[in-house]
Amino acid sequence: MILTILRIMYLRLRNNPLELLLVFVMPVIFFSIFAAIFSNGIATGSDKQLRMAVVCAEQTPVGTELREFLEANSSLQCTSLNDNLSTQRLNDVTVSSLIRDAQNSGRYDLVIKLPCDIPSDTTHAPVQVTLVTDGHNSMAVAMVSSIVKAFFSQKQARAFAAKLLRPQTNENGTVEVAAETSSPGTLAGLEMQKSNDSSFFHAAKTPSDFFSESQIQQLMTTDEYGVIRVGEMAAVVPSRWALQKSVDLTQPQSLNAVHQKVPAPFEIDDDVSLVVENPQAMSQENPRIAMYAAGIAVLFLLFSATGNAAALLEEEESGTLDRILVSKAGLFHIISGKWLGILLLGCVQISVMFLWAEVIFRIQLWQHLDGFAVMTICTAAATSSFAMLLATVCKSRAQLNAASVVIILSMSAVGGSMIPRFVMSDQMQEIGKWTFNAWALDGYQKVFWYQSPVSSLQTEVMVLLGSAVVLGMLTLIFSQRWKHG
Amino acid sequence: MTEPPSPILTLNNVRKKYRGCEALKGISLQLFPGELLGFFGPNGAGKTTMIRCISGLLKPDSGQIRMQVSANSDATKTARLGLVPQNLAVYHDLTVQQNLEVFGRLEGVTGRPLQTRIAEVLDWAALKDRTRSLVKTLSGGMQRRLNIACSVLHRPSVLLLDEPTVGVDPQSRERIYTMLDDLTAQGAAVLLTTHQLDEVETRCHRIMVIDHGTIVADGKLPDLVRQTIGRPHRVFVRFDQPYHQELAAFSFDEHRTSAMCPIDSMQELPQVLAVLKQLDREPSQIDVRSFGLQDVFLALTGRSLRE
Repeated sequence: MILTILRIMYLRLRNNPLELLLVFVMPVIFFSIFAAIFSNGIATGSDKQLRMAVVCAEQTPVGTELREFLEANSSLQCTSLNDNLSTQRLNDVTVSSLIRDAQNSGRYDLVIKLPCDIPSDTTHAPVQVTLVTDGHNSMAVAMVSSIVKAFFSQKQARAFAAKLLRPQTNENGTVEVAAETSSPGTLAGLEMQKSNDSSFFHAAKTPSDFFSESQIQQLMTTDEYGVIRVGEMAAVVPSRWALQKSVDLTQPQSLNAVHQKVPAPFEIDDDVSLVVENPQAMSQENPRIAMYAAGIAVLFLLFSATGNAAALLEEEESGTLDRILVSKAGLFHIISGKWLGILLLGCVQISVMFLWAEVIFRIQLWQHLDGFAVMTICTAAATSSFAMLLATVCKSRAQLNAASVVIILSMSAVGGSMIPRFVMSDQMQEIGKWTFNAWALDGYQKVFWYQSPVSSLQTEVMVLLGSAVVLGMLTLIFSQRWKHG
Repeated sequence: MTEPPSPILTLNNVRKKYRGCEALKGISLQLFPGELLGFFGPNGAGKTTMIRCISGLLKPDSGQIRMQVSANSDATKTARLGLVPQNLAVYHDLTVQQNLEVFGRLEGVTGRPLQTRIAEVLDWAALKDRTRSLVKTLSGGMQRRLNIACSVLHRPSVLLLDEPTVGVDPQSRERIYTMLDDLTAQGAAVLLTTHQLDEVETRCHRIMVIDHGTIVADGKLPDLVRQTIGRPHRVFVRFDQPYHQELAAFSFDEHRTSAMCPIDSMQELPQVLAVLKQLDREPSQIDVRSFGLQDVFLALTGRSLRE
């Protein structure tokens, strides 16, 4: 008997291709989507670059150098906000405005604000670099912080190395290190000193007299961009070398004295400080929750909309649709009425969700009511058209259920309802733009996170309303099958 | 001398190919006000296709479907049509009253006239006591009556019913036909399709038999019997064992266990009984009865399965 029951289950599954699709193909589809997201985005970062902007009140050599350093980093996509501006020094208001506009555009994960008076030699002068974040990508802050620190570490390391590698002969014929030398000492410079500028050194006193060959090789090792890596430099110069004005390094005890004199680890914190600012966090209580509310709301809006649109197929199966079509209500009235009903229900559904989020999590709904209303209506309109189109294309409720589950979950995964889009690769983010979720979430993000005015929602509104119109027209075309068989 | 009534619905050589086969092969018919026309045919004969064509849900490939505009019809200048689909085309999660309200509004009946009409229809369909009941809580017969009630709120001139009595008990069926009689008495033309032979025989004013998309018979039952079988009555004799002797005027079946003699009237019965007196063994059954629609139907469409 149990075998017979099993056989019934098997036969029913075999005879129902849609159910078969859900059971076997769905997991494969979702595995593929999430594999694409994680393999190209979060996990490897192979094609996911952090998008960051650099703004500097005044263009200084070190600022330019830092920018070039960031641009050379393959994990960063660096843009200078100064590029289209005059080379004159910018005032604080202009810099703040540039930063705010950059953040509101949503194009950057992070903005780096450089001070206008960065000294060339950062070994002694304190430097403050500000990382301005909107909080949506916390990984960006950690990653860029370490890269900026690495930049200044290298600068300091190069400076120390240059000092160490530039011995001079005093009047007694003793080789000394000029401690006050402040040359940046790029790697190219070091090589030049080593190979071509031997006359600069005492005949018997070359860098190899102060460093072992392996240390020099390590020091000279460059990465693909010609930059010394911090870790290697730290291995060579393990501690701060607070050198005296003149040290005779030919005497072993002198060199040991130098080592013993500065036991502290090689750090930059005393001189270069990183400050992280989040203007959104200052004016908003819980913007992240608003994003989650939008993501979940759009996902469930799609499900509820297709569920309601499925009533059309139920009416077809029961004959109620025939009865209505024979009445004074034409097909256009039926489609329009259903579309409007789903739209209104969607608006109420999203509103309830955001009201709850406002009551519990204080997402500042009332302060952004206009933007919220615009985004909610546009999102619900697009969703309603999408659901109606699915219902008119599908031939039965079962077909609609299968199709809607596949399409909605795929759209939600790619569009950012399940995983934030900023962690996806650029390619996945581009694919996501073919979904309602992405445009809706971008709009809600502008409203609640960037606190942008309604006028900034033009693109999102146009895309969503355009989709609503196009899908609505397609719905009317496909629904003709009910009119004349 | 009064003029013969003009038909309210006329189909002229209507053809329709549906899902690859020719479902209607030149259907022509006329439906008159106050007439209850029973449309009868085997499954797949084209009954539902014809109803969908008349109601505008399907567009015929050729031919004309014309509905007469009554003198007192409203500004839309179209004869009012009502459709009762084969399934229960009502909202099961609405109450009886709510269903009547929404379908009345869809037909353009609103306000006080709608409320008045709903009260009339509830009384007519014997659903007055279940106004506030959800449809899903009603019995099958009640649901069927509501299904019809929802289609008459706008007082249609022509009511099309696709198997309106499927799955209901005899009492509900009787009530439904009483409702239809009321409608025809008020001048509405009713066209119904059904498989219930007895209903068509006893309740319909006229019968049409459709087979393979063609109307093969049209008229009242005695006329159909005369057209298809010839004589209206028969004498039937059955034997336990095959009977190999010949009987004058009787025709045997292939197993020679039964024989039948058609007769025009009861006056012929003594002669037939005189023949039976000559039998050398007693038959197990002797039966005298009139031919019915089933006989006509089988004579017209044959005994082979259609599906």
